[in-house]
Amino acid sequence: MYKVYKCYEYCFLSIMKGMHLGEFEELVMLAVASLGDNAYAVTIQIELEEKVNRKANVSAIHTALYRMEDKGLLESYRGGAVAKRGGKNKRIFKLTNYGLNMLRESKNTRETFWNLLPQLSANT
Amino acid sequence: MSTFNPPKYARKLLEWLITKELFDDVDGDLTEIYHDNIEKVNLKYARRKYLVTVLLSIRNVHLRRKLNYYNPLVMYKNYFKIAVRNLLKHKGYSFINIFGLAVGMASCLLILLFVNNELSFDGFHEKKASIYRLDEVQTFGAVSAQKVALTMFPMGPAMHEDFPEVVNFSRYWPFSNRPLVEFDDKQHYIETLARVDTSFLNMFDFPLIDGVKGEVFNDPNNIILSQTTAKRIFGDRNPLGEVLESADSDNQYKVVGIFEDVPDYSHLQFDALMSIQLWDTERRQQWGSNYLNTYVQLANGVDVAALESKFDDFLVRHTNERILEFYELFLQPLTDVHLGSMDITHDYNNHKKFARSSVNVFLMLAFFVLLIASINFMNLSTARAATRSREVGVRKSIGAFKSQITRQFIMESVLLSLMALIIGFGMCLASIDALSQIIDRPLDLGIYLEPSNLATILLVTLAIGFLSGIYPALVMSRFNPVLALKGNGVSGGKSIFRNVLVVFQYAIAITIIIGTSVATRQLNHMQTLDLGFDKDLVVVLDMFGDTNDKYDLLKGELEKQSYVMGVTSTSQRLGNNLHQTGMEYRADTALIRGSSSFVSVEHNFFEFYDMEIIDGRALSDEFADDMRGRSFIVNETLAKELGAGGHDVVGMPFHFGGADTLGRIVGVAKDFNYNKLNLRVEPLFMSRQPWGWSEVNVRLQANQTESGLDQIEAVWTNLFPNRPFQFSFLDAHIDQMYKSEQQLTKVISILSVLAIVIASLGLFGLASFIVRQRLKEMGIRKVLGASVSQIVMILSRKFTFLVILAFLIAAPVTYFIMQGWLDGYTYKIDIGILVFVIVGFGSWVIALLTVSAQSLRVAKTNPVETLRIE
Repeated sequence: MYKVYKCYEYCFLSIMKGMHLGEFEELVMLAVASLGDNAYAVTIQIELEEKVNRKANVSAIHTALYRMEDKGLLESYRGGAVAKRGGKNKRIFKLTNYGLNMLRESKNTRETFWNLLPQLSANT
Repeated sequence: MSTFNPPKYARKLLEWLITKELFDDVDGDLTEIYHDNIEKVNLKYARRKYLVTVLLSIRNVHLRRKLNYYNPLVMYKNYFKIAVRNLLKHKGYSFINIFGLAVGMASCLLILLFVNNELSFDGFHEKKASIYRLDEVQTFGAVSAQKVALTMFPMGPAMHEDFPEVVNFSRYWPFSNRPLVEFDDKQHYIETLARVDTSFLNMFDFPLIDGVKGEVFNDPNNIILSQTTAKRIFGDRNPLGEVLESADSDNQYKVVGIFEDVPDYSHLQFDALMSIQLWDTERRQQWGSNYLNTYVQLANGVDVAALESKFDDFLVRHTNERILEFYELFLQPLTDVHLGSMDITHDYNNHKKFARSSVNVFLMLAFFVLLIASINFMNLSTARAATRSREVGVRKSIGAFKSQITRQFIMESVLLSLMALIIGFGMCLASIDALSQIIDRPLDLGIYLEPSNLATILLVTLAIGFLSGIYPALVMSRFNPVLALKGNGVSGGKSIFRNVLVVFQYAIAITIIIGTSVATRQLNHMQTLDLGFDKDLVVVLDMFGDTNDKYDLLKGELEKQSYVMGVTSTSQRLGNNLHQTGMEYRADTALIRGSSSFVSVEHNFFEFYDMEIIDGRALSDEFADDMRGRSFIVNETLAKELGAGGHDVVGMPFHFGGADTLGRIVGVAKDFNYNKLNLRVEPLFMSRQPWGWSEVNVRLQANQTESGLDQIEAVWTNLFPNRPFQFSFLDAHIDQMYKSEQQLTKVISILSVLAIVIASLGLFGLASFIVRQRLKEMGIRKVLGASVSQIVMILSRKFTFLVILAFLIAAPVTYFIMQGWLDGYTYKIDIGILVFVIVGFGSWVIALLTVSAQSLRVAKTNPVETLRIE
């Protein structure tokens, strides 16, 4: 019981303080967004490697996906089963509105800084 | 397709790692990647990758994992509660059950402590594995081959020189008399002063408190003392550098070191050490006399048998060809000296020497007592569990699995055995001091607190709990809940298994008791046996160099005292192994050499001790030859050897080996037991030699010992004002020889009583349960007209049968075991039929009493009470 209570407390606090996305989480969310209706762990892994050259073990992606679903950033539904999955359904992920906002906010935060430093790219 | 499936074990692991809710998703993902990898790369890579991913999934163990709301702790709490309630509800049975096991455990723990103490003898020497004691096998004409723990003075150094395998040696040679030393005008005896080689402290680990290990024996007059001895002589002063004047001789000892008191578990016991160097020049080439111990340290990996095979050549090289007729050398591992020297005689420096076979007997006893207790425990648990069928019925109908019921009962019995262990420990604590005294060994329970020992004990306890719980647990869990709830799912009364256990238990107890009583009787027999000389009322006074100078005066004065009945003197105390000496005798014309025990005695010795001369005459001061040491008296055993060819023994020319004095045998004395009675009387010859006496024996008038002692003390102090007066009684000394046997008998007797107590406790508990199960039957019998005695009979009949069966099994087994044991003794008792009758009858009576106490109660109850329950 204590553990459950602890968990709620944690979620509650983090919402109050304003939640921030981790770097890997952000990448995974972007990949989910870009993959549209075919966003599940395997494709996300490939997407990350192909698009941003980020190698990640699928177990790490699982961690991120289910955590973010718990936080309400993602939602999921069952996709079709395929033979090479051993007959198991895919779990397709999709951004929630809250997730989308979060992603946008994150981008805006960065852009605020980038706008303040127009000369940075020129100098390097 | 199936051959390309991911490895099964890895998938199993994944299933175990990932919570059920997510498993399908994750499993699907992993399988998909696996197949992708097979297509893109190869099977091997895919499998490896899969395995790595599964292992990495450990990070997702907690992901979405729901708390398991089935909490087995709650159930265990309930089991515990029920167990405690049951204990309290049946206080009597609980007590019998736990107490019996606790007694068994306590005695087992104590015995193991004792055994451990025996096995740890000499274990503290770091080099123990490479140190050996050099022993001899002597074969002399008159004496059959015997092993002796004696060696010759030059053997150690010669071996060290001759054999590269012998890397070190040390001799050990205690003074036979206690040296008297003087310090600050006060005199002190040093109980045991041993002469050793300089390497002694390097080979053996007797740590020095003060002094430098390598240097203490540099000067031949140096001495090192034990802490206690130093304290006794010097008090609080620093003893280092002090000089002790010898009161016996002109020697001076300079104290250069203090060593820790020798622990009790060392076979060498000494209070002071000095170098053997002083004797070296005189004796370095003295082959032939055996009087000291030699220890050798071998190089690593030396083949002992191969080394021993070279010893014959060694002996011949240093002496002559003929020596092999008399001597053979062998090495005895240091770790074997304490427990493996029972067949070795002349073993003077072997503290508390003990028989390995006795240690084994103890181990067996410990095992069997524990076994009896465990069987008891099991029997009672089973019987009691049977009364709890309703509880099992309820549990089962609420939904308990079979495995849960099993677990509950096993847990309960483990719990009880743990309680028994704690109580057993308490019993150990309470009895350890008394036991230490009885067996004269400092036992310390502390070793059970060492983690490894504690773990073993706990493990054994758990095993006992588990094993004795498993039978009732299985029986109980098999109950059909419907029948159990009705209250007759119990078939407790007819368990063959349980009856076998009772028989077994009683058989062991009967064996132990008969064995003990036979052993006790044998040992008592030996102590009360006529020794062949009158040992009562004899006071022994040690003699020394200076006291021997005034011997005639002392003897004359003592004889004048009114309460002194007689005075004689010897060179060795009776009741010991007597030292051996070489002898030569002439049969026809051949001069035959041999060796035999010898003691120098005063001419009135035979008269003093009331010994019978069966041929010839005793020594007498009327014959000049007798007084000059040329007349010899031999004992019957030696006379048999000497007269083997039909020669006349009396008058036979006879003298010491190597000496050319003319001597002859003047008399034959009837055999008397100068040695322990489990040993044969060995050949012995006696004469009066002018070498000085090692002790004076004074016989006091009966009932006047106090006044007699006062008179002796007055004489002594008057003649030797500087010598503290010390005395001992000969009979006390002889009793002392049997001390270890007496201790053993006491301990074994205690154990055998415990064994029967535990067995009876078990029977008592069992009987009461069975009686309770047959309450109704007895009620009906009573209603139909059975008398009290008939009911008692019915209930007791079965147990009588069991006990008789146990006796029939135990008796012949015991008979053969004890017969074998008795064969080791020269003077043995007949086992006889009586002990079997008494023990058999006794155990039957005990069993009957235990059972009928229960059945009588049932028989006397009003049948209404028992029958209205329905």
